[in-house]
Amino acid sequence: MINRIIALLIRYKNIAFGSFPRLLSIFYWPTVQILFWGYFTNFFVSNNEMGVWTALNIILSAVVLWDVLFRGQLGLTMSFFEELWSRNLPNLFITPVKDYEIVISLVLISFIRTIIGITPAIFFANYFFEFHLFELGVNLIFLFANLLMIGWSIGFIVSGLVLRYGQAFEELAWAIIFIILPFSCVYYPLSSLPDLIQKIAIILPTVHIFESMRLILIEQKIITGNFILIISLNVFYITLSINFFLKMIEVAREKGLLFNQGE
Amino acid sequence: MSLKSLSTKNLSKKYDNKTVINEVTINLPSKGIFGVLGKNGAGKTTFLAMLMGLIKPTSGNISIFEKSLEYRKYEILKEINFQSPYVELPKKMTVEQNLLFYARLYEVKNSKEKVHRLSKDLLVTKLLDSNYGTLSSGQKTRVNLCKALLNDPKLLLLDEPTASLDVSTSEFIRRYLIDFQKKNNSAIIITSHNLDEIEEMCSYIILLDKGKVTFDGSKTSLFKNNKYSSLKEFFLNDK
Repeated sequence: MINRIIALLIRYKNIAFGSFPRLLSIFYWPTVQILFWGYFTNFFVSNNEMGVWTALNIILSAVVLWDVLFRGQLGLTMSFFEELWSRNLPNLFITPVKDYEIVISLVLISFIRTIIGITPAIFFANYFFEFHLFELGVNLIFLFANLLMIGWSIGFIVSGLVLRYGQAFEELAWAIIFIILPFSCVYYPLSSLPDLIQKIAIILPTVHIFESMRLILIEQKIITGNFILIISLNVFYITLSINFFLKMIEVAREKGLLFNQGE
Repeated sequence: MSLKSLSTKNLSKKYDNKTVINEVTINLPSKGIFGVLGKNGAGKTTFLAMLMGLIKPTSGNISIFEKSLEYRKYEILKEINFQSPYVELPKKMTVEQNLLFYARLYEVKNSKEKVHRLSKDLLVTKLLDSNYGTLSSGQKTRVNLCKALLNDPKLLLLDEPTASLDVSTSEFIRRYLIDFQKKNNSAIIITSHNLDEIEEMCSYIILLDKGKVTFDGSKTSLFKNNKYSSLKEFFLNDK
């Protein structure tokens, strides 16, 4: 019996510690939880004059917008992973379909999946909590579009990594969003973070998006410079990530990986 | 001079320091059934994958119907297709959805009609509404073959097309492919470990050993040169 238990333990140890992404997910989550809830509580305790409804509105807006990013990324990666899981990649890549056509299709399906996924959430928030996301006005479209773009950027990076390095990186598809969550200042302002982390966090477009959201909801103020920065960062990241994905397809062709992917 | 279905010149593939395909130069006529034979690890599947652009050669050239694969890849991909028991179709879609999906990718005209005709020919009509993931391996092979014939390929690549199939399904597939080749004047390249199958179907043989072509010519000349009467005899005596 002991031998069999030891054999199983070795097997589970190899699964858990055998790849870097899996190892990362083991020790990363508790740290993320502590950081996230710590900053979140700090912000609301030190701003208790804000009022419950304003606070609730900010939280719900942040939840819905964050989900746009999450759905956007998942919609893209899961659609691509389906091809890997069904061992369909060789069939797909020997058709006359061009690599950039795959990119366009993934972006479009992600958009459709996000719209379908997010609509009931907005409806229920409106119905049960009198939450009006549309108070963000036309800015909502801007924020929505930019969050989707961030989701796509992350999705292309994760898909490229899985194509190149295999299924151990699939875990990243679920985890990566939450890796950047504490530094994205979704539920608290940038100023809540320590100085050093602030300097790193500003390279994330999510920071500027959620800062803009809070400014609109609390002070009804728009800073054009912020919007320009968001677009610039997003154009940079989406270009980078699509090129990375296309490069990984090329590397997969060189290394013969398109033929050997699957369940 | 007649059009060649496939020409390769000094085609090589290396992974790090391991040479998988070594300076392969062959020229195949525009029509016929050609067998690629070799032991496990000889490089047969890598060779096929390179012909479809799935694996990029380290050096050398590939031309299909006199068009360079490097420069006119998408033009060529419209005219070729592939089937292997190791490559599947999306499992969560029905057989019909799968076939229509690929018909659209190949821009097949009257796609629905074509799918139904091929399904009838390959005895998969009753499976059209079934999820691909629920099919047996014999049924999957016939559906995969439907997919591979959707664009009436001028060059059809088959990687062990009858592996793990029962005797009657294997025979049905072989008969169908021989008829298809005759009717369409196409070229078919088959890799297989089933020597009887290759002997029955192919008039032209390419032997690969450790990535190198050791023989390339008609079946009769292979037997004549080596004084053997069957491929099995040839392989059993090959050191």
